Amino acid sequence: MDNRGLVRLFQFTFFAAIFGLWYGVTSTGYVSSIFLPELPVLARAFVKLIISGDWISPLQVTLYEVGCAYAISITAGTFIGFLVSRSKFSTRVFEPLFSSIFAIPLIIFYPLAMLFFGLGVGSKIALGATVSFFPIVLNTISGFSNLNPVYTRAASSMGASGFLLFKRVLLPAALPVILTGLRIGFVLCFLSIIGGETLGSLNGLGHKIVFHAESMNTAGMFTYIIFVIIIAFILNTLVLRLERKGAHYR
Amino acid sequence: MSQTSPASSAANMPALFRSPLVARLGVILVFILIWEFGARLYDDPDFLATATQTAASLIPLIQDPKVLSALGYMIVALISGFSMALLSGGILGMLIGVNKLSYRTFFPIIVLIYAIPQVTLLPLFVLTFGIGTAVKIVYGFTHGFFPIIVCVIAGTQNINPVLMTAARSMGASRGQIFRRIVFPFVIPSLFTGMRLGMSATLIGVILAELYASQGGIGYYTRHFSDSFEPQNLFALVILIAAAAIVLNEILRKAETHFSRWRQ
Amino acid sequence: MVNTNGPTPDVANSQLPNSDADLAIEARNITQVFGTPGDETSVVALDNVSIEARRGELLCLIGPSGCGKSTLLNLMGGLASQSSGELLVNGGPVTGPRPDEVAFVFQESALFPWNTIIENIEVGLEFRGVPKEERWTRAREAIEAVGLGSFGNHYPGQISGGMKQRAQLARALSLQTDIILMDEPFGALDEQTRMVLGEDLSVMLSQTEKTIVFVTHSLVEAVFLADRVAIMTSLPGTIKEIIEIDEPHPRNPDFITSDKFNKLRNHLYSMLHDEIRKAVERESKLSQNPGAGDHG
Repeated sequence: MDNRGLVRLFQFTFFAAIFGLWYGVTSTGYVSSIFLPELPVLARAFVKLIISGDWISPLQVTLYEVGCAYAISITAGTFIGFLVSRSKFSTRVFEPLFSSIFAIPLIIFYPLAMLFFGLGVGSKIALGATVSFFPIVLNTISGFSNLNPVYTRAASSMGASGFLLFKRVLLPAALPVILTGLRIGFVLCFLSIIGGETLGSLNGLGHKIVFHAESMNTAGMFTYIIFVIIIAFILNTLVLRLERKGAHYR
Repeated sequence: MSQTSPASSAANMPALFRSPLVARLGVILVFILIWEFGARLYDDPDFLATATQTAASLIPLIQDPKVLSALGYMIVALISGFSMALLSGGILGMLIGVNKLSYRTFFPIIVLIYAIPQVTLLPLFVLTFGIGTAVKIVYGFTHGFFPIIVCVIAGTQNINPVLMTAARSMGASRGQIFRRIVFPFVIPSLFTGMRLGMSATLIGVILAELYASQGGIGYYTRHFSDSFEPQNLFALVILIAAAAIVLNEILRKAETHFSRWRQ
Repeated sequence: MVNTNGPTPDVANSQLPNSDADLAIEARNITQVFGTPGDETSVVALDNVSIEARRGELLCLIGPSGCGKSTLLNLMGGLASQSSGELLVNGGPVTGPRPDEVAFVFQESALFPWNTIIENIEVGLEFRGVPKEERWTRAREAIEAVGLGSFGNHYPGQISGGMKQRAQLARALSLQTDIILMDEPFGALDEQTRMVLGEDLSVMLSQTEKTIVFVTHSLVEAVFLADRVAIMTSLPGTIKEIIEIDEPHPRNPDFITSDKFNKLRNHLYSMLHDEIRKAVERESKLSQNPGAGDHG
């Protein structure tokens, strides 16, 4: 049963209806442009933003925060995860602890981060590092502890031990699961930093959205929203590619 | 080779410390001790509260009727947003999932919209719905809706087609098929969706609370920071975090309970 | 992995005249207990087992599940250490893995899924300490020898179960050990693939001087491949009987249809049947009153 054409038609109709509705309600003035900008206005504002290069500085700030936070969480997450996974006992002690903390919406700690580190990049880095630490540490633990014992048996029967065993067996066996954790960690890191910038900041992409919202420049707000969504999709695709590349044999 | 070594290192410890639960409590205790003495050593009461100060301000905090009402409104927003997400996500998910054409049309669209970082839309929501409870409910709902509908649709795809055929051959009506086959198959995924949806709703509600700082929890976090009352801020944050853990545990237990027949 | 229970064999002891040059592996009074001895939950996996593998033969270990055949194999390969008793490989006591004397083939595919077939063999040689320049040539030779020449760059996930086991055999062969321990190597394969691999192994046996200890569940496999079959009992694991199969390698399908084969197979079956019954009955008794373990 091949109904691909029909599916495509329905999907096209769905999006056409949404944008048609958007165009209709804004151009007739049924919905005020304070809430929803007219599509042509929005398109012009977006092009203007891209050409002006005004997006470069906030993007740099946001990427700097994401880079610092992610570097911290990768280092701490993989290192602590590996140490915890070394014994069954410590896995059973720490794994449930980390996963219950992971269940908390960690954004609730952002007011504390702002209190300690102020409105600058520090509070965003602290939030992003905390939020992305947990998926990384949890997946590192599960990657190293759910290892099929036949691999280590085979390797030690052939004389492997120490660093060679780690490099050739433990690490490659755990890598796919760890990479998934790194990807989830990255996505959460980016989102929480945008969230932090939205809640209180001096610069960055999230800050730009809020800034335009508060100055009632709805078209400006929408352009930055769209810009951030595009950046998010690009980054998501990038990390997904890297993850697949790292676990190519699957 | 751990399975062959007769005595593991844990076995050499006294029986009490062999329990991971006890050790876990020990880790938490050590963390609290580090916090307590770290804060005392750092000694900056305007920014950092010790564990004992935080614990001492818990009771007065929840006795403050204004804080209590802010927490109450947050819970109302959470429950309303979550119920809306559950109801709409559950029903829409099943309707979309049981039909092949609607599944193939809408599932990719839903996944695409789910991938949009909703945090970018927070100022837009506040612009549209104001700073009251309404925005918290709506923003919580849009956070909770997507994980629930995605899980429910995924659940409908697990339905064994043989059972559908068997039911039809026995003359089952559309309603009977929904009640006897679709529903039981969807229940485990529904509970997974509920757990994920609840934590997403909570994120949405908290984000909206913190953003709209003229009232509710957001007001108090800002107020406690500005008036240098870190012990109250710590207590409030820890209270909400603890509630989130409890809520998650309850839903996780429910999920395991209702997924039993799968094994 | 220091054997703390057994007497520490001093150098003079391990070179005693009773270590026969014709024996590749000698196990004397091996006992293996899991858990703390005397504890209710402890399990005697092997009880006073003595067996030897003669140089150049294929010794088969067969018995009901839980009879400790895989445990015995792990001890021989130095992957575990026995609670008591003496175990010699090529005349020397086993204290750990001996990659230059003993190679393993496991039931479940123990090929590393993240390496191609040829990389798998090269990694094994790296573990073994073979210099980098030699690895590729030796790996190449080994996969040619098992007929996988054109699959060197495939990942294990891309080839069939039978080919995976050939690749594992290639990895074991490339290590150039005199002893290969095979832990139900064909256990997860279908009947036809099993037969083909069995015949190929028999051909290989006729051409080399390798000593193989082979654990299996299959009566047909045991009679077809083994020079001697050791029948084991379960819980505690002991050797019940050892039978000789006097038929030169390579063995061909005619052997399977011969009266000799059937007689041997029937004999094995009757010996094993009682043991399997006992094992099953014990299991059902245990599940009826799980509180009362019957280790007393």
